[in-house]
Amino acid sequence: MLLQLNNIFKWVNSGGQRIFLLKDINLEVEEGEFISVMGPSGSGKSTLLNVIGMLDNFDEGEYNFLHESVHTLKEKHRANLYKEYIGFVFQSYHLLDDLTVKENLEMPLLYKKFKGSERKAMVADMLDRFNIVGKKDLFPAQLSGGQQQLVGVARALIANPKLILADEPTGNLNSQQSEEIMGLFRKLNEEDGVTIIQVTHSEQNAAYGSRVINLLDGRQV
Amino acid sequence: MFSINIVGLGIGIASCLVITLYVIDELSYDKYNKKADEIVNVVFRAKINGEEIKEGAVMAPVGETLKQEFPEVLDATRIRSIGMPKVTVENQSYRDNKFAFVDANFFNVFTLPIIEGNPRSALQEPNTAVITKAESEKFFGVGDAIGKSFFLEGQEQPFRVTGIIEEVPQNSHFHFDIFASIEGLDEAKSTSWFGGDFFTYLLLKKGSNYKDLESKLAHLPEKYMGPMMQEAMGVSFDDFTKENKLGFRVFPLTDIHLYSDNSPYSQLEQGGDIKYVYIFSAIALFMLLIACINFMNLSTATAAKRAKEVGIRKVLGSNKNQLLYQFLSESFIATLIAMLFAAILVIVSLPYYNELSGKELQLDFLWEPFVVLALLLLTFFISLLAGGYPAFFLSSFKPITALKNKFIGGNNNKGVRSGLVVFQFVVSAGLILATLVVNQQMQYIQNKDIGYEREQLLVLRDAYLLGNDRDVLKNELLKNPKVTSITNSASIPAGSTDNYMSQVYVDGEFSRRMPVYNIDENYIQTMGMELVAGRNFSKQFGTDSTNVIINQTAAKVLGFGNDAIGKIVTDGGGDHKVVGVVKDFHFKSLHQSIDPLFLFYRPFGGLIIKANSADMSGLIADANTLWNGFGSDETFGYTLLDDSYRQTYVAEQKMGTVLNVFALLTILVACLGLFGLVTFTAEQRFKEIGIRKVLGSSVTEIMTMLSKDFLKLIFISFFIAFPLGYYLMKKWLESFAYRIEMQWWLFVLAALATLLIALGTIGWKSFKAATMNPIKALKDE
Repeated sequence: MLLQLNNIFKWVNSGGQRIFLLKDINLEVEEGEFISVMGPSGSGKSTLLNVIGMLDNFDEGEYNFLHESVHTLKEKHRANLYKEYIGFVFQSYHLLDDLTVKENLEMPLLYKKFKGSERKAMVADMLDRFNIVGKKDLFPAQLSGGQQQLVGVARALIANPKLILADEPTGNLNSQQSEEIMGLFRKLNEEDGVTIIQVTHSEQNAAYGSRVINLLDGRQV
Repeated sequence: MFSINIVGLGIGIASCLVITLYVIDELSYDKYNKKADEIVNVVFRAKINGEEIKEGAVMAPVGETLKQEFPEVLDATRIRSIGMPKVTVENQSYRDNKFAFVDANFFNVFTLPIIEGNPRSALQEPNTAVITKAESEKFFGVGDAIGKSFFLEGQEQPFRVTGIIEEVPQNSHFHFDIFASIEGLDEAKSTSWFGGDFFTYLLLKKGSNYKDLESKLAHLPEKYMGPMMQEAMGVSFDDFTKENKLGFRVFPLTDIHLYSDNSPYSQLEQGGDIKYVYIFSAIALFMLLIACINFMNLSTATAAKRAKEVGIRKVLGSNKNQLLYQFLSESFIATLIAMLFAAILVIVSLPYYNELSGKELQLDFLWEPFVVLALLLLTFFISLLAGGYPAFFLSSFKPITALKNKFIGGNNNKGVRSGLVVFQFVVSAGLILATLVVNQQMQYIQNKDIGYEREQLLVLRDAYLLGNDRDVLKNELLKNPKVTSITNSASIPAGSTDNYMSQVYVDGEFSRRMPVYNIDENYIQTMGMELVAGRNFSKQFGTDSTNVIINQTAAKVLGFGNDAIGKIVTDGGGDHKVVGVVKDFHFKSLHQSIDPLFLFYRPFGGLIIKANSADMSGLIADANTLWNGFGSDETFGYTLLDDSYRQTYVAEQKMGTVLNVFALLTILVACLGLFGLVTFTAEQRFKEIGIRKVLGSSVTEIMTMLSKDFLKLIFISFFIAFPLGYYLMKKWLESFAYRIEMQWWLFVLAALATLLIALGTIGWKSFKAATMNPIKALKDE
């Protein structure tokens, strides 16, 4: 088992009232799964993804990731954990504007203390694998949305994570670009065995996955 | 951010105003005189046998002679200062009045209006005096003082008050309380061109150039001093001037305060220094620049955050002009608040500043119309620059662009911002260095081996006033277990002292003028001085009254080398045999090198007492009791030699303190600016920080990333600040004959201090930025 959420609650206090963002979430994810999280706006999809990605805290419940109890870990250990095992893909790509494609890809490796030669090899490998060798010296602004998201996915994969978390990865893309990215996800999942959890509004995209989790007002339905 | 910005600007402008007050005050000296531009001061300059002579006072006949010889000299007047002598009014004696003899035309030349008495005839007769109003009230109480009289010590005839003036203005190069008629003074009638102690002022014809007059004075020494030289020294003027130089120079009245040589001989009071005026003007200017630029920079930077607000306002129907008006008026109000804050700061802090600096700065200057106008203009200018960018740039945005917050402000000004940070830290690091050097030099002065032990020395300068009882006092005190030894001498190496110069001849040839110390056999031991050759004076040798002890410098200057004992030197008092050589000790300030010195066995003057413990209060009380026991009407007074020594450097001490304060304020303002910039950068890079964190960057890595650029700039600033600081501080140190060398570690220390301050400023903000939750930055809107 890759990760397990048991009775997760998350809330904020507003005007003396407790507003639940996540309510009693229970989830088990096996390695190699491709899960889609669906639900209307404000149903807690992104919050759930952030909790799984350890970017956000929760108020109650247990979270185990690869035999580590995330809820008992200190901030720093948690950061090390997601740094090592999780890759993130965002709706608006979040590439750094003043870095080239190559430099954007290299950045996570810098933080993981890879050596210069290793980094070079890994970046070259990734450029090759995603067919973007010709674009390596361009800046994000010089790429189309689909190409930018391609770089975003490549950056998420570069350090060989066990889990990819994607928050509406095709939200800013047209249908053709969307299909490319989703095809890529399926390929990664099937051929490389990468576990993927994506948040999406689209039934079509959800169909690429093996399982769908529906949320409404922070509750699993 | 808003309030930091206003506080920074307020502090900057307030400091600038205070320094401006100081500078204006320094530049205003003697300008209260209506004819200030036409009055000049004649001074004497010479170099004789290697001795540099700079005297502010000249011989008695100089003024009158110049008036006779040159038609452009309309009038000449003299001051003969006699310090603070004892003055007696109806059995009550005072020793705290500055007393001068002046020519009868004195009040025609200087604008010190006589408010009571007859201005025309006030000082025509001998033994008449004009005194200040405060003095008159002290002497005679409230009421008419004209015609009342007082006694000056040593004179039988009383002085009659013939005029009252207001207090001499604070920004004057002299502050006498009593101006007595010079008519009764014999030395004033002297025709000798060989010595004299008269500060001489000329009133020139309007429009005549003092430089022209100065060049015409070149023939004076030959014409008037030549004959006397031949007679007294047996040398012709031409021969004498082959190796020596002498002549008169002319100083404009308004230059005296700032440009006079800072030695006791060359001015009536310790003056200012034009160097400090420059230094502080530069600080004021930097301060104003830093504060203003920071303010504009930060206002501009924060305005970028308001792009969204502009979008909303536009969508809601605001037009461009309304936005323009809004931004400009906001900026104007903020600037105005900063100005008011500055004004309050100045008003509140001025008394403290005056205490620190020993000045008496007044606020009047601030209310002068042109200053108010200048400040208002400055307010407009700053608010226009600070508000102009958002007003004109943001308000022209298309509402949709602005709403999407796509706009990232100010990246294009990165070069300007970097330049600004460098500039601020050049000033800050430079000031830190200057502060360290000044403090180091002050430490050096305090700890330097000055050739005698100045601690635990009680000086009863007035003991001679007790007459024969002085020796009784001395003998009684010697029985006191708190006393180690006592010497009877008027010569004191620090503080005011009776100092006179003697013309010294060796083998019939004029050698040099030398100061003379009159001491007794206990002096050298009591003062902790050291004999390096020969013997001390002693009662056992009957002939010691004609013998002399010289210091090492004198032995060198007179060409005796290590073989001075037994040599014969001659002065006005005849031949003297050298019986001892005393190790050089400092009897002038450390600004000057040690002069050759004669010490004669002539015990007179007051008493100097060496105590055997550091606690002097008991001894002072005992001495006071003994003194009062004599039933004399002289009041007991004392000084501690250590205090007098410190007093010598009071101007530098004060300058140091003021420098410390302004260095601190400049650094504070610079730090506020830096803090604002870091805040701005952190906000600008908010999203980037979020991305980097999600991709695995640690807190330390983010903090390093945010600080690195600033630290680089600060390092660059060191390379500008330190060479500049080294050069300027070297100049300052050169005014001391005895000074520290600037060691490398001073620079390291200044660099570390600057870095520490900068890191402290950057650290908190970048820590906050680095520890924020990345999802805040990564929300997909």
